[in-house]
Amino acid sequence: MNSGENSSLRETIWEIYNYIQENLYLNRPDTEIKGIRFNSALLISLLTGLCQGKQLIIGEPGLGKTTSVEYVCSLLYRFPLGTIWGSEVAGHPEQTEEKIIGRPDLGKLNIGEEVVIWSHFSLLPIKIVDEINRLPETKQSMILDGVDRGNWEYLNDAIINREYCLFATANYQDRGTNTIIAPLIDRFDVMVESKHPGPNLAYLIGAEGANGIKLHNEELEEEFQRILSERLPYSVRMERVEELCNRFGDAMERGPGIKTLSRDDRKTIRSQKDEIPFDLDFNAFLRLAISELSFCHRLGQKRSYEGCEEGCHFTGYLCNAVRNCISNRFPISIGNFSKALAWLLGDEKVDLEHLKALMPFTLAHRIQWKEEVVAQHEKEPRDDPLDIHMAKDAVMEMHRRYMEQGPQVKSALAVAYRIMEGEDMEPIQGDHPIYWDIRKDLGEEVKQ
Amino acid sequence: MRNPFMDFRSVHYQKKEIPLERIVKAKQEVMDRILESYFSIVEEEAKDLVWLVEHSRVVKTYDAAKESIRDLEYDQDDIEEFCAQLDSSQKVPYMISGPAGIYISALVNHIAQDSIVLGLKDYERTFHFLGFRLPEGKTLTLQGDVGDFIGAGLSGGRLVVEGSTRNWCGAGMMKGEIFVSSHTGQRTGEWMRGGEIHVDGNIWSTGKSIFGGKIYNRGKIVIPKESD
Repeated sequence: MNSGENSSLRETIWEIYNYIQENLYLNRPDTEIKGIRFNSALLISLLTGLCQGKQLIIGEPGLGKTTSVEYVCSLLYRFPLGTIWGSEVAGHPEQTEEKIIGRPDLGKLNIGEEVVIWSHFSLLPIKIVDEINRLPETKQSMILDGVDRGNWEYLNDAIINREYCLFATANYQDRGTNTIIAPLIDRFDVMVESKHPGPNLAYLIGAEGANGIKLHNEELEEEFQRILSERLPYSVRMERVEELCNRFGDAMERGPGIKTLSRDDRKTIRSQKDEIPFDLDFNAFLRLAISELSFCHRLGQKRSYEGCEEGCHFTGYLCNAVRNCISNRFPISIGNFSKALAWLLGDEKVDLEHLKALMPFTLAHRIQWKEEVVAQHEKEPRDDPLDIHMAKDAVMEMHRRYMEQGPQVKSALAVAYRIMEGEDMEPIQGDHPIYWDIRKDLGEEVKQ
Repeated sequence: MRNPFMDFRSVHYQKKEIPLERIVKAKQEVMDRILESYFSIVEEEAKDLVWLVEHSRVVKTYDAAKESIRDLEYDQDDIEEFCAQLDSSQKVPYMISGPAGIYISALVNHIAQDSIVLGLKDYERTFHFLGFRLPEGKTLTLQGDVGDFIGAGLSGGRLVVEGSTRNWCGAGMMKGEIFVSSHTGQRTGEWMRGGEIHVDGNIWSTGKSIFGGKIYNRGKIVIPKESD
């Protein structure tokens, strides 16, 4: 891939971002990365679509949680809005596996054949679950595997989505909502809030009406419906769907003049972003953060059902403020999204700035804070919901520590490499949990 | 297990050295050298762990000590640490008070500072010959009781003992002053040729052969006697 093609794809993404920001999802920039201000919900939705992520969008009703991701999916994946609406799953207590994943073909069943009619939700690469926390906790388990692996099973049949991204919206807690179960929430790479745009942009939204009409195409929507309903093998149907997607892309370029991405474009982008290396500061800081969020000197690691001991030496670190242990999905999420951001910004390496910008959104839904820590923070002035606010504070706190100890941490990791290769050296010691974790990896007994 | 630190293989690591570590290391190096040269003197001068107080032996030991510390950079803390090592450390398997005191005196006489204070109150052992040949311009304060031959051969320096001395205090001193806040033992000022000894406590006895200088007890001159 030459650099010209690189920049052309990047420009297309920026065109999409700007088009949505200017016309479809009017909202304030609320985050700054490398001197550029972005709207976090929109930027992260784009990244989710690009890197096949899973995103949880929270916010008050009517503030654009679902519509923003519909626009992003429409332009990144070349689907008309009507087709996207038809594939969405609404979270409500009466939801069933038959509506979400697939149902038996009753005609075939009558003649003794077991044929599954897959839902559009399970077939299409873009998956939107509206109000996921209205699904009862028992029914949330139905979509665990699909959310995690794109693997949908019904009766004795299964389909595997080779390309997919997932967006789920959630309202704040009310009488009709349920808790999102821990294994499901951990499967989301990021969590963002779709914020109120402020009175002036809100006025424009009201005055201009629904601009999303430009993303409709009745003719193609019918075509999509027809092809998706055909009883053809999954792969054949998806090839035909892709042809229709390309026709929609052409229509968007001819009509509103917006460039969109083909399946091959997305594939190219993914392979390019996967090749961007992490720099050493990204690497070391991420290790330091994981250490703080998983370390327990007394119990070996954090466990959500066990507490900290009184007067622990590591009181000043995050391990003392959280209840649970960070999962292995966290480094996967942050690595994937940081690479996508670095690609989008045209950077040659994934660095600390990418990490710092995205880490709060990858941590906010994964950290279970101790009650007393929540009590300390909930009255603080802030612009974000409490989970994201606390995650941002935590990242700043860890970053401050990394700024003080970064060279020493990297040296400790370098020395650890040599020791593991058989050199006779002493591991570098320090107070931070990362030094203790390094010594554990080197096989030392570090209990006091 | 895979080496999870592979990404850092090319990192030029630099162990962060906190100043205290550096200071401790430097101090340890100095102490090792002081002890090493002390051991060589003891081996040379007291082969059978016997060291007789003879003028020629004292002078020879002092000269050897002076030579061995010629290129050494140390300070008062190092001398105090050396005293502590002599008193209690397992690093010094045997301590012969005479050579030890002469060696300490050599260290004191060749230190850059003019004023040295050695705290000896808590030591179990008693050092002899402290202040030996203390030169002009230097003040040595010894806190605690000390042994024999304190201030012997004093050469113009000012020696203050905040405690008692044993016998032969100021023996053979040439010039300078010795102040003892408590008592002195037998034959105080023996063979002295000049300078002054001031004792605030009791003087067990003064020297039988005193060739010059003055000895005061509680402010009153006792040597030379008024009848002299």
